[in-house]
Amino acid sequence: MDLFLNRLFDALSNGATYALIALSLVMIFKATTLINFAQGEFAMFGAFIVLVLAVEQGLPMWIALLGSMGLSALFAAGFERSLIRPFDPTNHLPLVIITLGAFLAINSIAGIIWRFDPRAFPNLFGSGVAVEIGGATLRWYTVGVMATVAATAILLTLLLNRTKIGLAFRAVSSNLESSELVGVRVGPTLQFGWALAAAVGTLGASVFAADPFRQLEPTIMVRVLIFAVSAAALGGLDSIGGAIIGGILIGCVQSLLVPYTPIPNDLSLAAAVVVLMLVLLFKPSGLFGTPRVERV
Amino acid sequence: MASAPRFQFVAGSSEHSTYRLIGWVSLVVLLVIVAFAYNDTASLTILDNEYSLGLTRITKAIAFILALLGLQVVAGFTGQLSLGQGFFFGTGAYITAYLVQDKPLFGWNYFTSLIVVVPVCFLLGMLFGIPALRIKGLYLALVTLGLAAVFPALVQLQQLQEYTNGAGGKLIDADIVAPSWLPLDGIAGAFQSIPLIGQYFGDGDLSSREEDRIWIFFLMTIVAVVCFKMVSNMIASRPGRAMRAIRDNETSAAVSGIDLSLYKTLSFGVASALGGVGGMVYVAELGIAAPLDFTQLLSILFIVGLIVGGAGTLSGAVVGGLVLAFVPEWASSTESLPGVPERWLQGPTGTLFLGLLLIVLMFVLPGGVIAGVRQLRARFVQIIPQAPGAAAAAVAVDDAASEEIAGDLDDEPSVDVAVDESDETTDTTKVGGEV
Amino acid sequence: MSRVLDVSDLRGGYGPIQVLHGLDFHVDDGEVVVILGANGAGKTTTLRAVSGMIATTGKVELNGEDVSSTNTADIVRKGVAHVPQGRGTLPELSVEDNLRVGAYIRSDSEVDADIDRWYDVYPVLRERKNQRAGSLSGGEQQMLAVSRALMSRPTLLLLDEPSLGLAPLIVQDLFERFAEINKETGTTMLVVEQNAQLALGIADRGYVLESGAILTSGPADELINDDQIRKAYLGV
Repeated sequence: MDLFLNRLFDALSNGATYALIALSLVMIFKATTLINFAQGEFAMFGAFIVLVLAVEQGLPMWIALLGSMGLSALFAAGFERSLIRPFDPTNHLPLVIITLGAFLAINSIAGIIWRFDPRAFPNLFGSGVAVEIGGATLRWYTVGVMATVAATAILLTLLLNRTKIGLAFRAVSSNLESSELVGVRVGPTLQFGWALAAAVGTLGASVFAADPFRQLEPTIMVRVLIFAVSAAALGGLDSIGGAIIGGILIGCVQSLLVPYTPIPNDLSLAAAVVVLMLVLLFKPSGLFGTPRVERV
Repeated sequence: MASAPRFQFVAGSSEHSTYRLIGWVSLVVLLVIVAFAYNDTASLTILDNEYSLGLTRITKAIAFILALLGLQVVAGFTGQLSLGQGFFFGTGAYITAYLVQDKPLFGWNYFTSLIVVVPVCFLLGMLFGIPALRIKGLYLALVTLGLAAVFPALVQLQQLQEYTNGAGGKLIDADIVAPSWLPLDGIAGAFQSIPLIGQYFGDGDLSSREEDRIWIFFLMTIVAVVCFKMVSNMIASRPGRAMRAIRDNETSAAVSGIDLSLYKTLSFGVASALGGVGGMVYVAELGIAAPLDFTQLLSILFIVGLIVGGAGTLSGAVVGGLVLAFVPEWASSTESLPGVPERWLQGPTGTLFLGLLLIVLMFVLPGGVIAGVRQLRARFVQIIPQAPGAAAAAVAVDDAASEEIAGDLDDEPSVDVAVDESDETTDTTKVGGEV
Repeated sequence: MSRVLDVSDLRGGYGPIQVLHGLDFHVDDGEVVVILGANGAGKTTTLRAVSGMIATTGKVELNGEDVSSTNTADIVRKGVAHVPQGRGTLPELSVEDNLRVGAYIRSDSEVDADIDRWYDVYPVLRERKNQRAGSLSGGEQQMLAVSRALMSRPTLLLLDEPSLGLAPLIVQDLFERFAEINKETGTTMLVVEQNAQLALGIADRGYVLESGAILTSGPADELINDDQIRKAYLGV
């Protein structure tokens, strides 16, 4: 039972990170039906900026985090404007290639600047144990990550449902041409989606790296991206709630399901890929997504 | 184009055949020269940086070229964006390493291991092609990327340790040794005695290492040529037409009676088998199969190779392979550049360059280097297709087919209707050397 | 009477295919003008050209201002509302959000009042205000699309085949409402239609479009009695 609880807590904290990255994938997918393969690298870079601001510049942790989220958003907005918008949005191949190029470039730039030695990431949520249930320990970190995901989901929902830019974003996601016909400026609205996604991604990578058992290094998000993609697909790729639940479920697959089956622990990533494949094969709209209609 | 091309050929005419022959001959001559000039640790010095041109790099490039040839089949010609080619490259490498290192009693060497590598990779590829029947485009890219990401963990599994040697990688002791009857020394000597350029061919007798290098290079070149010939025949015949139809419009291909499931899984099978052959060449050159050589980074780099050369062109694979083999190496050899702090030249500068190159290409040359070369060449050479009736009799099958491919893929249909393989290959080799 | 829309020598199409071959037409303030034409005559393309959704040459003047090279979002801000063919509602959004997004360019405080007003005109929309627009019937979607367009308080309303795919009774009702809206709000309307009888019934003037060129034009009551048009478009 204690072991189960410990594993459940692991599942929740891992799953929460996957949920945050999945959220950032979903923000862009919702609007453009595109997957940004560089999303994880954007996020990793953002986490390094947090590290620089907090450790090297000595800023308070939360200011550093918010500052880096803002910088990531600016960067992503510029990325959208200069590298994505010039292309036909309905032809995915060039856009996928661009994001793959960005993946390589950002990953290498981080490697050149910060090298590949792992670095300790500042503590975000206080250390130590929040609650002890029998032999199982619920760490403050896990509590913090869960709270962060919940807060992010609530804020995003409010932003999308209660603000004008949120309304425009939902309109563009639903029907691009009709949105233009009511005066929505499509380019800047999509740009807003990219910016928002990058900010959420940076938050995700930062809370992931903030686990006292982890350290930050340039390849930290490469695996996480695959888990997050599975999470997003499981949730339906265009659903915010779906991304969160998908993230938690993938966390459970990794930390709960795999340990109780003969699947070797090292293959938890493979398990996530299998989930991704099964979802796309048998229920491409995921648990909460909008069914897609293929046009000929 | 502003002015008429300087040379004009009628497809199938004797002049055209001569033109093609000249292309092939210069290719062979070039290969021989490359082999003897660069067998040594030849290098080029620019701005105080030494850039290696060694033959081992070129053999490594052949490994990448084969994997890219496969990627051309599945992604370039069938339109299935696969980010999992590294998986099969790795599989080929590990199977070869296992057979050559652990089963020498049964007489396995690098080439006989292909008997196992090709069918295994082919079947694995077909197996992974099955999801592609329902998963399309972006989603297929996601799944295949996942596949590629899993590979390193897979070969490091406890249960496979005794076959793969886990994280340390599988070392192979066996080398490919040049047979003693080959007069390599004599040829080298002949090259060295040529006035003026002789100095570029080193001096004195070749060491046995150098002889082996030249031998491996030629063997692998033959493997590559055989693979190219088979793929170009396939592309030119019925399966190839079906694949291109699927790429251009899946639904209308299905409506016109093309068996989607057959040709999609077939293209995955062929691509994966070629990936496996590439893995064999890779491990034969390197002597070790290590898990971290086959991450999803490799698969993404293969996409760079695909795009740099030009998706949907076989010769694009050559350009892509050379770029993938040389750029990272040269980037890490660049230790000083005027105006750039040294710190910035250390680390994964090659990957950075390739990533930026990928982005820039999408803006300036989305058809890849081959499209650029074709546009350029169209200013000098024009091949006029014959009237259908006459052409049918005069033009060899593969000739006509490669023309069809070229016309099909060209960005500017008016530029050159016919591009044949022979000179294509020479062109790209030159371009590749300059990259 | 001032010109709301003045189009001269309008040419345009999709990529290399030219659809419009030099159109001249105009719409005056407060008018309902109909453009009649068969399938493929270029009706939808004409409206898309006015909205700045395709590349064109020629001149499009809106209230005397040249908008030929203005982008769609800005043309909307100059008072044009466009109900596209197939209605173009936002299926994932609620009915109320659809109306709200119609007022996207407005920043005044009367948006809620306007929403209420259109709920009064089409009570069925009020009943379904929290439903997803995609779940509405065709007729309801058309009501929503028109209300949404009017939420921007346009000076010129472009309607692209509002009758398409709707039952005759519903179409009848829809066109009667158009006439009422035109009288009550003074909104100028440019309607393209295949259903000549209905459209001419509410229109002041009409144009007949064929193969991307204006074939004939005139007051609605003249066109409705024109033998050729009766044969071609009225089926009598």
